Amino acid sequence: MQNVVAHFDINSTRYLDAAGKLTQPLPVGMDKAALTALYRALVRTRTFDAKAVALQRTGRLGTYASSIGQEAVSVGAASAMRADDILVPSFREHGGQLWRGATPTELFLYWGGDERGNYFAKAPHDFPNCVPVGSHAPHAAGVALALKLRKEARAVVCIFGDGATSKGDVYEAMNFAGTWQLPVVFVISNNQWAISVPLKLQTATQALAQKAISAGIVGEQVDGNDVVAVHAVVDAALARARKGEGPSVIEAVTYRLGDHTTADDASRYRKDADVTPHWQEEPIRRLSQYLAGAGFWTKTDEDALLKQVNAEIDAAADAYLATPAPDPSVMFDYTYAQLPADLLAQKQSVLASSPTSMRQAAE
Amino acid sequence: MPSPRSGYIKHLLAKPHERVKVGGPIVEFDDAPHVDTGTVVGDLGIQAPPAAAPPAPAKPRPSPSAAPKAAGAKVSASPAVRALARERGVDLAQLTGSGPNGTITRADVERAGGEKPAGGAVPLAGIRRSMAINMAKAHAEIVPATVWDEADIGSWWSGQGDITVRLIRAVAAGCVAEPVLNSWYDGEAMTLETFKRIDLGIAVDFVGGLIVPVVRDAGGRAPAALRAEVDRLKTAARARTLPAAELRNPTITLSNFGMLAGLQAALVVVPPQVAIVGAGRISQRAIPRAHGLAFTHVLPLSLTFDHRVATGGEAGRFLKAMIDDLEKNA
Amino acid sequence: MPEIAMVQAINLALARGMAEDERVIVLGEDVGVDGGVFRATDGLFARFGADRVRDTPLAEAGIGGISVGLAAAGFKPVAEIQFSGFIFPLIDQLNNHASRFRTRTHGHLTCPLIIRTPCGGGIHAPEHHSESPEAMFTNIPGLRVIIPSSPRRAYGLLLAAMRGADPVVFMEPTKLYRGAREEMTDDGKDLPVDRCFVLREGTDVTLVAWGAMVPEALKTAAEWEAKGVSAEVIDVATLKPLDAETIVNSVRKTGRCVIVHEAPLTGGFGGEIAARVAQDAFGALLAPIERIAGYDTVMPLPSSRTSICPTRRASAAPSRAPWPTHEHIQPARSRRGFAGGRDRRLACRRRRSCRRRRAAARGRDRQGGGRGALAALGIHQASPGKAA
Repeated sequence: MQNVVAHFDINSTRYLDAAGKLTQPLPVGMDKAALTALYRALVRTRTFDAKAVALQRTGRLGTYASSIGQEAVSVGAASAMRADDILVPSFREHGGQLWRGATPTELFLYWGGDERGNYFAKAPHDFPNCVPVGSHAPHAAGVALALKLRKEARAVVCIFGDGATSKGDVYEAMNFAGTWQLPVVFVISNNQWAISVPLKLQTATQALAQKAISAGIVGEQVDGNDVVAVHAVVDAALARARKGEGPSVIEAVTYRLGDHTTADDASRYRKDADVTPHWQEEPIRRLSQYLAGAGFWTKTDEDALLKQVNAEIDAAADAYLATPAPDPSVMFDYTYAQLPADLLAQKQSVLASSPTSMRQAAE
Repeated sequence: MPSPRSGYIKHLLAKPHERVKVGGPIVEFDDAPHVDTGTVVGDLGIQAPPAAAPPAPAKPRPSPSAAPKAAGAKVSASPAVRALARERGVDLAQLTGSGPNGTITRADVERAGGEKPAGGAVPLAGIRRSMAINMAKAHAEIVPATVWDEADIGSWWSGQGDITVRLIRAVAAGCVAEPVLNSWYDGEAMTLETFKRIDLGIAVDFVGGLIVPVVRDAGGRAPAALRAEVDRLKTAARARTLPAAELRNPTITLSNFGMLAGLQAALVVVPPQVAIVGAGRISQRAIPRAHGLAFTHVLPLSLTFDHRVATGGEAGRFLKAMIDDLEKNA
Repeated sequence: MPEIAMVQAINLALARGMAEDERVIVLGEDVGVDGGVFRATDGLFARFGADRVRDTPLAEAGIGGISVGLAAAGFKPVAEIQFSGFIFPLIDQLNNHASRFRTRTHGHLTCPLIIRTPCGGGIHAPEHHSESPEAMFTNIPGLRVIIPSSPRRAYGLLLAAMRGADPVVFMEPTKLYRGAREEMTDDGKDLPVDRCFVLREGTDVTLVAWGAMVPEALKTAAEWEAKGVSAEVIDVATLKPLDAETIVNSVRKTGRCVIVHEAPLTGGFGGEIAARVAQDAFGALLAPIERIAGYDTVMPLPSSRTSICPTRRASAAPSRAPWPTHEHIQPARSRRGFAGGRDRRLACRRRRSCRRRRAAARGRDRQGGGRGALAALGIHQASPGKAA
């Protein structure tokens, strides 16, 4: 005779379906102002995204990872955060970074290969992008531990993709968080693809959220294309975290509508025909339909928004393009707290041969 | 305007600055398969197929033992040693290194000495070579001690001429007084062979070196015969016609080095001999007499002996006998 | 003054660092209640509590990542990795994050963490417990790599690391935990982390070492002194950033340089030092720079068998061969011998080659085997010694 010693459910939440229809009443506080703010943020993110791709295609930005189709995940999560919470992103959370105060210029600087894009004037505690997949999850746990030790009512949101959930680092972070009941919310932005590896080749789990169970923490799923749902679920998780009720894992199911990066060509491993249906589910379309249906958004609003965000993004791109590259010698200045002697010698050799110094010498 | 895809453009369907209707075609892509960037990050550059490079001809590998140590072959010396050699003007190629694998060490360079004028090392040969060998051997074996004195020869010295014969007679007198100095000593067997007969080696200086012909039975010849024999030997020696037998086995040696310059000398005793007598330059001397100073001529004498065998007393008595004989007026 | 062992000195430094700065927290496996498997954190849990002295789950990469997060969020974590053989999962966090947070954010985020780990062999430990991986870390820009060799230096350098603002890998030679003892007090004085320590002055040769090889170098220098060779001994201590100037100046004085390290030869940090010396003291060199290091093998397992290549003289024959104190390096490798039958045959071969080397030493070096290496350096001793 067998006993069930443990039993787990993974709940999934959604408010708006793919056609923009409500499947349950909106959460408290999700009024017109809140919804239109979310909508503006999604559009602004996609506009930024398109501009970034265009800049890359015209040789004025480095390799860029588009977030097209996934905007609702990071925008939804960021919108639930307080200003003094901390975002620890992977590299596809542009919408969340923009919501939290990073400027498009700062983001262009990052993707253009300038360290000055690794910190945000208006979000000074947020972490910069993390390229080695999943290795930032333990950072988030460490930051959460710091907050807990200082007894601050703040929390950390860590976002990573479906591929990252295969990494040991991610499990270790969840395990630390669970053992020590840390105020951190892990958001899995499940866009179904890890470059060319589809989800079914990534893991045997039915839902990525169930990986939380192995760490003994709350795991739930949400429709990642429904920004309202993402906001609501993350909001609740953050509230629990701040109250000391521990960490959560939230799997936001979405789809990567574009290539992995601008250097990738997804048609090598997936058919365009398979991607096309997902355009019907994408976040901006469904929210737009709901807002239009609810009378919260008109064509005038739309035109005005597009005009405004395009102007803003274009100006940001111009500002980025006009930013002079830093002097190469700057790469030494922050290597250590104080420049050691042998690095000073190396820096001097760079200074001696830099164009700036040559110009100055010539003057 | 961003390109909707990467690829090659087959045709331009509009000209620059031309007004084109929105939605109208401007570019036709070459529908060759998508160019594979070959990466998901960055830019690997143009992917031209690599031209098949012709195989490089196999370089003949230099045989490890090929380079002989010819003149100009590399010397092994550390940077500091090279710097020192440059500073001292030492040619490393001239040195043999005492370090591992023949490496020249700092000590090697320091031993090579300071500034060296142009010269060129020449190997010793013939008499010079023999002298080098014999003197080194003598130095290694003999325990030399020297006694000096003078003989007043004013009573017979005419002011010029060869005094060799008188010297020989004096040496014979010394040998009579102290025969031990006319011996051969075998240092290994520790045996002493004292001779009655005096076979006196006479050092003869000439251009090219030193030669020591031997006057056999120097104590048993009359003066005229001695004179003749000495002259013969000297002439033949200088002419290099002296057979080897005439150079062998002296029992004691005389060196009249004072003919040119030099008063006293500690000469080299060549084993198995145990003594060598040196006669220095005759000089005028003022000596006190009863009524005042008188001038005379003195002949300085040096007797170097092997102290393993002879004592200072024996040397002294030998010398006294020599002096007594030399101070006779005939 | 009391005489204390190096592990106690480390304990004192940790306690002082934690007392003077509440941002310092200690974490790692078994560091709390148990006081650390080597007792380095003994007593800290009782004194500072569970919040500041944390027993972590068994997750080295996670410990590294947690420490990065803690450090970036304003703490000064001192994480213990139980053995250097287990430090490798942290290379990701150290190379990709800890060492570059400051530079990639132009100082907005920094990562003042310390990763402490025992390192090196000589304690008859099982597999993977005797690693010397310091060279890997020295190739990571932005990291500090510190290896103490005595209680006083362990104390002073660890304090300096805790008071500093850079990420540090602090590697503690296991053999010296209890093997190194000296008189010292808990005076709170730190030591500079930007220079080497000249422990002994000399004029004929510069011995450069770190960690457990420093006491060996000092012992050897004393022995050489009796034979008329004056050795200068330098403890590098902070491998990165390297104070090459002290070493170079010493070699300019002596003209000879021997670098000793326990880690395998190829790719070891001795190569970096040799390159710097060759670059900056080339003209002063009287002999090639020598490195005495572990073989390019995995460190063999301990066994009850006695040493295979026992004597110093036996091992000092050709200039490239192990040098007098290699006995102490090798059986960090070979004194423990090999396990198993096949390895016994290997041991016999080794023994024969040792005898051959000894004979060669006798022939090549009239003054005695122990002087082979010195002769190779061009150091000729006044008094002839016994033949090998």
